[in-house]
Amino acid sequence: MAEHALEPEAMEPEATRRSFVNWLLGTSAGAFLVAVFYPVGRYLVPPKAGESAAASVTLPVKPADVRPNTGQIFKFGNRPGILVRTPAGELRAFSAVCTHLNCTVQYRADIGHIWCACHNGHFDLSGQNIAGPPPRPLDSFVVNVRGTQIVVSKSA
Amino acid sequence: MTARLVPAGLVLAALAAWAGVALAQPKPPGESCVACHLEIGDERLVKPVKAFEGDIHKAKGFGCVACHGGDARAAGMEAMDPAKGYIGKPGRRQTIQVCGRCHSDARFMKQYNPSLRVDQVTEYATSVHGRRLRELDDPKVATCANCHAVHAIKPKSDPAASIHPLRVAETCGACHANATYMAGYKIPTDQLEKYRRSVHWKTMSVKGDLSAPTCNSCHGNHGAAPPGISWVGNVCGQCHAVMAELFAKSVHARVFTQMGAPGCATCHNNHDIQPASVEMVGLGDRAICAQCHAADDKGGQTATEMRALIDSLRREHAKASALLERAEHAGMEVSQARFELNGANDAIVKARAAVHAFTLEAVKKEADAGLAISAKAHARGERAFAELRFRRNGLAVSLAIIVVLIAGLVFKIRQIERRPKSRNAG
Repeated sequence: MAEHALEPEAMEPEATRRSFVNWLLGTSAGAFLVAVFYPVGRYLVPPKAGESAAASVTLPVKPADVRPNTGQIFKFGNRPGILVRTPAGELRAFSAVCTHLNCTVQYRADIGHIWCACHNGHFDLSGQNIAGPPPRPLDSFVVNVRGTQIVVSKSA
Repeated sequence: MTARLVPAGLVLAALAAWAGVALAQPKPPGESCVACHLEIGDERLVKPVKAFEGDIHKAKGFGCVACHGGDARAAGMEAMDPAKGYIGKPGRRQTIQVCGRCHSDARFMKQYNPSLRVDQVTEYATSVHGRRLRELDDPKVATCANCHAVHAIKPKSDPAASIHPLRVAETCGACHANATYMAGYKIPTDQLEKYRRSVHWKTMSVKGDLSAPTCNSCHGNHGAAPPGISWVGNVCGQCHAVMAELFAKSVHARVFTQMGAPGCATCHNNHDIQPASVEMVGLGDRAICAQCHAADDKGGQTATEMRALIDSLRREHAKASALLERAEHAGMEVSQARFELNGANDAIVKARAAVHAFTLEAVKKEADAGLAISAKAHARGERAFAELRFRRNGLAVSLAIIVVLIAGLVFKIRQIERRPKSRNAG
């Protein structure tokens, strides 16, 4: 009887430890399952992606390789940009999307400014629409030269 | 028109000075003219004085005598002595002279606005208004003071000016949209109503593009006249240069001239020009070509084929674009393909412009380039989805292994739990 009388008291601390370990393992298993299946769920049903939020881009060209009175198209997110080195040697960048019907503009060395082939729209080296149907200027970007890199950023 | 728009006795017109001496030394109003006009209190006399407070000429230092003559220093009726050059309200022909006295003088105008043209009077003489005034002494045609709000003349950059781009149509419409006033001229009076339905007016008034055309962009302002049938393309071509150039070389340019049909306006109308759409091409319900061509003539066949090419290009572009968008949404990197697909949009725009050459070859050249870009982009989208399927299969395999592992662990734990029980049972 003495043994039986002692048994509940002897069991008490062991039951507490067991329940604690069980609780710990149970929650760990739950966390494990969430950690496994949540990424799977997000992978299979990804969030909606909007337009590229790229705020700046480093161009794959060195400043020294861009000759005066030339321009080249670069990728800015999904959209084209145009980098121009003016005859005076200044680097400028604009969105290359024509403000008329979204064609890609280009630099024409023969006339010394930016031109859209679709409807003969002209933009000067400040991006201003100067002839043809484009209704407003090209969006301008900020150009920074960092050593041998050209970094183009959206205007603040 | 004059009676309606020009208050009696007062045409200041934007421009003038009465005598050379007076012009060189402009004097502000506020002398006896203003004092008497305000004192008498008659609304007809007060109104022009008050309106003149906001006039550009007042701001530049000109007074009443610059246009009306007289002597503002004299009191009472002496100020209005014809011997002192007083002319009262200039007549219609006289208005042109009064304004032109300064505004046709390049040297004089340079003092105030070096960039302002000085050929308005010459231009006016070529206009329908000017010719009717000169040849028929038509009392209803517009002169300077009708379009430039007399006594309240402002530069065209001022939004309150009657000649500000947003108000030009309203200014012209004051006469031209008035069927009663225009009765007898045998010209339509629905131009203003039509223009306000046009893409040009919407571009200006909704999008805020003040360079969009209004009445004077096509008709001229001081030399206002309807563009001739043979040169209407030059008018539209000021902005729509590519289409005008293609059209000028096309077979339609010659045929339309022979038919007496205006170039651009034959298909696009004139005042109520709507946004151009591909539905205008071909022989469908909304096709303009179908007005002259049928399925069994060569022109009809070309129109149908041009339309089919453009439709095909738009379809392929849309298909590739949708595929790439889905691939991007699914987490795949396709920004380069989407970037390159912009070229297909260019091709659609160019193909639509090429329609104005009215040859299948011109449209095909642009369409083929766009179709190639679309096909390439579509193939890249397909590859992105193949890669996505591969990754998903890999994920499924990994998951299967993880699930089997979990099941094995559960099974093992239960087995361990059962052992002490069986030992206890034993």
